[in-house]
Amino acid sequence: MLEKIRKSFMNIKLLRKVFNWGRAWSLWSVHLETGCCGPEDMARACARFDTERFGTLPFPTLRECDLIFVTGFVTKKMAKRLKLTYEQMPEPKYVIAIGHCAISGGLWWDSYSVVQGVDEILPVDVYVPGCPPRPEAWIQGIRMLQEKIAKEGLKK
Amino acid sequence: MSVMKLSMGPQHPITGHFRFILDVDGDLVLKLEPDIGYTHRGIEKLAEKRTYLQNLPVIERVNSYCDSAGTMLGYLEAIEELMGLEVPERAKYLRVIAAELNRIASHLYAACLFSVATGLETMLMWPINDRELVLDLLEKLTGQRITYTYQTIGGVRFDMPEGFKEEALKRLDYLEKRTEDYYKMLLWNHTFHMRTKKVGILKPSDAIKLGVVGPNLRASGVKVDVRKDEPYEVYDKFDFSIPTGKNGDSYDRLEVRFKEVEQSINILRQALKDIPKGPIKKWAPPIVPKGEAYTRVEAARGEFGYYIVADGTMKPYRLKMSPPSFRNLIALPHLCKNVPLGDIPVIYISLDLIPMDVDR
Repeated sequence: MLEKIRKSFMNIKLLRKVFNWGRAWSLWSVHLETGCCGPEDMARACARFDTERFGTLPFPTLRECDLIFVTGFVTKKMAKRLKLTYEQMPEPKYVIAIGHCAISGGLWWDSYSVVQGVDEILPVDVYVPGCPPRPEAWIQGIRMLQEKIAKEGLKK
Repeated sequence: MSVMKLSMGPQHPITGHFRFILDVDGDLVLKLEPDIGYTHRGIEKLAEKRTYLQNLPVIERVNSYCDSAGTMLGYLEAIEELMGLEVPERAKYLRVIAAELNRIASHLYAACLFSVATGLETMLMWPINDRELVLDLLEKLTGQRITYTYQTIGGVRFDMPEGFKEEALKRLDYLEKRTEDYYKMLLWNHTFHMRTKKVGILKPSDAIKLGVVGPNLRASGVKVDVRKDEPYEVYDKFDFSIPTGKNGDSYDRLEVRFKEVEQSINILRQALKDIPKGPIKKWAPPIVPKGEAYTRVEAARGEFGYYIVADGTMKPYRLKMSPPSFRNLIALPHLCKNVPLGDIPVIYISLDLIPMDVDR
């Protein structure tokens, strides 16, 4: 019954737009640093760049988060934790891969303990290149994800 | 009472890339066991596959968190010692300028984390905003915000841009004024005293026995600094003092860092004033002659040692690093015996450990 009501509600185009608008502008990010892009994570969240303007607030509890930044390289030991963190997050959830290391292994292309690209373990929505990417690039990544969410919803 | 095992991290706002396995009895932590290796990339092994020049960005990312310029110096010193290469004077000054700017950025970052651990959010925003000013300077000088690869074998890659000196002096004046605000906001704050004073006391004898290095050792009252004891580059030409703490608690460890920022500003002013004219780079051959070298430098988090075995080819035979955070980590289980659970973040952050530095 509830499912039926939900579906009928979602068929209204305007309502769907409102839902997606809400989703896109409150992407809280989970705090899990995997690599060396960590200080830029702090820089983009704090005073000068302040991604909270775009609704991305770093939050300690993963149960209330919708976005995960994979900051830099992912080692095989961290990969298990990353997957566990991703699985515990509630739907809908999005992944942004930050830096060359998260995209394709980057500088650690021949390392025995680094996962060659985080898309081997998680479905990635947006890739942000750089080593590390500037905070402006992080913001661009967030904006791209917001646009993606807005388009994604209308197709359904 | 029953003892419970508690796992803390790596998905935790304080621990970063670490996991701590705690034995807790109620609120009391009986034992702390750090679980390291979440950021192990095998840098020492990778360094053997790459040439000396290709190694530069790899070595830098040992501590790319904040202090890549200071970290790199040791590696370059070791290679230049093996080659018998004399670096031009101007390049030495530029290296020191980059390293000291980086030290300021690193210590400000440590202050941010400290304020997060104690729940004082204003002091998270202030130093990180001022850190941006330092990073702007570094970006002007090197072209990057965090990872520079500025210093190369035989000198530095770029000369000082036009107007850098004036801009740097202006920003240093501002930073010096700003440190007073930090004292008012954080270090003289009663709440902060309650959280940090007499928490995690490291006695000087214990610190020496455990092999703690850097600001953590100096906070315990031991006056050791490689910049003074064994001057490298041009540190023997500067007039600066080594700040030390009295009690060796968490509060002292942060205070020493703030005093070090003041000293770094002091060094930078002298360096910018005395910098000579001349070439910035000397050509260096790609092949390093056979031999062994050990050098140590004072990075932001402490003494960084490099041991290189060269076998007369373009690649090192063995590169061993002795990073400061790994040596400071040993103090953490020692300090976290019979302390309340709420003090664990404060003690951990006060040591200013970088997991990537530990794992390599």
